[in-house]
Amino acid sequence: MNTSTGERSRPTTIHHREQVMGTIVTFDVYREAGISPTEFLAHLARAVNALHRADKIFSTWKAESPVSRLRRGEITLGEAPAEVLEVLTLCRTARDLSGGWFDPWAIEGGVDPTGYVKGWAAQLALEELRDADLDGAMVNAAGDIASFGGPVAGQPFRVGIVNPDATTELACAVELRGAIATSGAYERGEHLVNPHTGELDTSVASSSVTGPDLGVADALATALAVGGDEVLSLIEDIADYEAFTISHDGQWKWTARFPFARTTATAAS
Amino acid sequence: MRRTPIVLAGTVVGLAGVLGFHTSPAKLTLGTVPSSTVTGRSTTTSAAPTTSTSAAGTNPPTTNATTAANSNPTTTVAKATPTTVRQTTTTAAPTTTAPPTTRTATGPLVNYYFGTLSVSVTATGKKITKVTISSLSDGGNFRSQSIDQQSIPMLEQQALAVQSAQIQGVSGASYTSAGFAQSLQGALKQLGV
Repeated sequence: MNTSTGERSRPTTIHHREQVMGTIVTFDVYREAGISPTEFLAHLARAVNALHRADKIFSTWKAESPVSRLRRGEITLGEAPAEVLEVLTLCRTARDLSGGWFDPWAIEGGVDPTGYVKGWAAQLALEELRDADLDGAMVNAAGDIASFGGPVAGQPFRVGIVNPDATTELACAVELRGAIATSGAYERGEHLVNPHTGELDTSVASSSVTGPDLGVADALATALAVGGDEVLSLIEDIADYEAFTISHDGQWKWTARFPFARTTATAAS
Repeated sequence: MRRTPIVLAGTVVGLAGVLGFHTSPAKLTLGTVPSSTVTGRSTTTSAAPTTSTSAAGTNPPTTNATTAANSNPTTTVAKATPTTVRQTTTTAAPTTTAPPTTRTATGPLVNYYFGTLSVSVTATGKKITKVTISSLSDGGNFRSQSIDQQSIPMLEQQALAVQSAQIQGVSGASYTSAGFAQSLQGALKQLGV
C-alpha cells in the first residue's frame, strides 16, 4: 500500500482541529498520492482565518461583535461588515425556502443569524481548500459537515448520523456528496425555537439535510427539526437537497433520494 | 498569530504512535471526537488542559468564546493508509504479542459550553471498550441539564461507534463535543491508547 511509496514527507491524510465559534471544527483532508504539508498549510491558514473572522463578526457571546452591536441598535446594517448583509440575505432566502420554519427574525432580542453562520462559515473554510489538489476534504463544525471529494478519488465520504435515542450507536450512514447538517432535540440553541409559536420545540428527534451548501443544509435541518413532515415535503421539491428525520418514537422518514449508505455502521462490511 | 499551525514538525515525530494505535478498526482519527483523540495522541495534549483550566469554573459563554479564539490549534498529520473503507486490510495494524490488559483512566476536568466535565476511558490493549462521563457540573443552568442528560450518553456512544464504523465523520454531535473531546484526549494519553 502507500507505506512503501517512499514519499516520506507526503502524508495521505492530514487532520486538523480548530477551536472556534464555541466549539471544535475539524478538518480532514485526503490525497492518495500524498499531500505536501507546506502547500496544504497555506490553504489551511486561509480556511481557519475564515472561521475566526466569522466568529469575530457574528458571535452573539461577544458583546462587542458587530452583530451584537447591531442587535443592540448601536450600529446600522450599513456600518456592519459586508458579511453581515450577505448572511442576512442568505438567511432570508433560507427562510423562504423553508416556508418560514427557519426564521432568524423570530428570535427574541432582534435578528440573530447564529443558526446560519456556523454552516456558512464552515462552507467558506472548505472553499479555501478547493484548489489545494486533494482527493477530498471535510470541514466538520460540531457535527455539521461541508465536504468535497472523498477519502480516495472517485469515492464519496461516508458519514454516520448519530442516533438521537442514545441506545444505539449510529442511526445510519450516508454517502456524502457535499454537505450534511443534523439538528435534534439533544442540541441546544435558540434556533430550535418554533417561529410560529415562540416555544422551544421540536417535531422530530433528529433531522438531517444533505446538499451542496452547508449554510442552506443547516438552515433546512433546523427548519425540519421544528416543522417535521411539513418541511420534509418542502425539501422534496428543493433541487439537490435531501432530508431524513427520526421521530421521537423512532420512526424514520426521508426524501426520495436521500443518500443512505448501503450498509449501516453496525453492519459494515 | 498563535493559531498559525506550527506543530507539524512535532507531529511527524508522533506519527509512529498514531499508526501503532490502529490495532482495531479504531477510527478515532475521524469525526469530531476522533480528531481530537489523534491530536492528543501525537503532540499537543497540553493545549486542551491548559485551555480548559483557564476557562474552568467561570461563566461558560463569554469565557469560553474568548478562550477558544486564542487557544492553540492543533494539526495532526497521519501518514497512515487511508483510514477508511479498507480498515479490514490495513497494513498499519501491528500484531500484538503481549496479552491485552484492561485499564481505566480519567481525563482532566474541562470547561465546556455549559459547565465542566471529565471523561473516563476503559481500554483493553489498544482498543477502547468504554467511555463515560465521570463528572459533570453544568453550573445549575436549568435548560442545559435536560440537554446534558440526552447528549452525554450520545457522546459516550459516539466515541465507541466511530471505532467500529467505516466512516470518516459523524453528523449530529452536540455542542458538548468540544469539552468531551478535550477530556477524552487527556484520558487516552494516560492510557497510552
